[in-house]
Amino acid sequence: MRRYLFNILACLLLSAFPIGTFAQTSDSPGATPLRRWDKRTHPKYAGWERLCPTHAKFQYAGGMGVSSFGVGWDYGKRRQWETDFLAGFLPSKYADKFRLTFTVKQNYIPWSMSFNEHWALEPFYCGLYVTTIAGEEFWEKEPGRYPNRYYNFSTKLRPYIFIGQRMNFNLKNSLVKHVSLFYEVNTCELYLISKFTNKTLKMKDILRFSFGAKVQLFKD
Amino acid sequence: MHKIDNKKKRPAFFYACLFFLSAIGLGGCEMIEFHPYDLDIDGETGINAKNIERIETALKGKNEFSFVFISDTQRWYDETEDAVAAINRLEDIDFVIHGGDLSDFGMKLEFEQQRDILNKLRVPYVCLLGNHDCLATGEKVFLTVFGERDFSFNAGNTHFVCLNTNALEFDYSEAIPDFAYIENDLNGLPEKITRTVTVMHAAPFTEQFNNNIARVFQHYIKEYPALQFCLAGHTHNLTVENTFDDGTLYYTAPSIKKRTLMHFTFTSNGYSYETIPF
Repeated sequence: MRRYLFNILACLLLSAFPIGTFAQTSDSPGATPLRRWDKRTHPKYAGWERLCPTHAKFQYAGGMGVSSFGVGWDYGKRRQWETDFLAGFLPSKYADKFRLTFTVKQNYIPWSMSFNEHWALEPFYCGLYVTTIAGEEFWEKEPGRYPNRYYNFSTKLRPYIFIGQRMNFNLKNSLVKHVSLFYEVNTCELYLISKFTNKTLKMKDILRFSFGAKVQLFKD
Repeated sequence: MHKIDNKKKRPAFFYACLFFLSAIGLGGCEMIEFHPYDLDIDGETGINAKNIERIETALKGKNEFSFVFISDTQRWYDETEDAVAAINRLEDIDFVIHGGDLSDFGMKLEFEQQRDILNKLRVPYVCLLGNHDCLATGEKVFLTVFGERDFSFNAGNTHFVCLNTNALEFDYSEAIPDFAYIENDLNGLPEKITRTVTVMHAAPFTEQFNNNIARVFQHYIKEYPALQFCLAGHTHNLTVENTFDDGTLYYTAPSIKKRTLMHFTFTSNGYSYETIPF
């Protein structure tokens, strides 16, 4: 299970790698060919601007607390890749005490359908995230009192996979470029393991819904 | 020109509304989860207290009864379903005791699923706290869904004392097993009680037990009227051992994956035991 966790983290890191490389293509801004539906292009920031987040996100539920807020960076010719860093919370109503969560999320948005100057649909996107929660009762590695490999998993780190859809509304605003609303269907690795080994568990038992919004920031 | 614009806009709005409505419709409340270890518990709670009342009422004044002991059903939902079906096929069963480890990871979902499967039993059941059930917020979920760490009930003239023995989970820093509980329970025993059975998740001399006080534990539980035997789970293997060489048998249940039920029948002058494969 530990190796499995590392694999997921490695995938996350690898998929985040293009952050550093997209700058090399910034000399040829006209490189993105026009398509009938997909009108996305990356503005290709230069210098220090690359360090500023390209968007802010809010997410409701999804195993990362009641609500999570964060910022992220998009990259790729058509901004198909997004990496987000989200901080969330679980109020004391749903936990023993108020708990903070932190999530690193990688999104791949292969397609976009632009209907007109305002509306665009991203009919399918997918990705993975790893979420962690604060609190003594959660451990990343088993505490020393246990014999070696006694439980062999982490209660603190939880990798998720998800698929989703997103609707964009473009604004003519210098501060906010567009606002997107999204929903996702997700599941974590322990739910998947449970499903694979039991016929009686239904998809409904392991799949979870979450909702959110993305605000594309001022940079243009 | 104006007309064309309107036509163009309609599908976009349509999609926007449609996909959000469909997502909410498909999702429903049960499929929204804040965290796998949150305490936003769906469905029935306080199972043990309700079922103890059912057991005590049904067996009041009786000396003869029978029960099934199962344990360690974690992440074996298929096998647990089959076990429930097999127990429901048995005649003359009065109740079921689950020796703990309903969950593998201590996640809320696991307790809810196991509860929903066990709720299909025709007879009342009680669940003990297992070591896996203590992980992360697992113990809190267990306390809400099932009940106390230590509890006891009377099946007619026989007293069942169910004790939390997962000392390792609490880093040996809490009173586990709780001798104060045993003393209070002993002091409050009704007069009609003539026999006792002790149930726990981890038997003495397993790595979970506080083995420094294993013999003290044995001394304490023998204070009960006519201790018949002890029941445990945790090891996932069926064993019957005279652990302290004092004649007290420790019956350890196999995990549910081994597809074997332990069936105990009490008559007025003793008990008998059989295993039932399913």
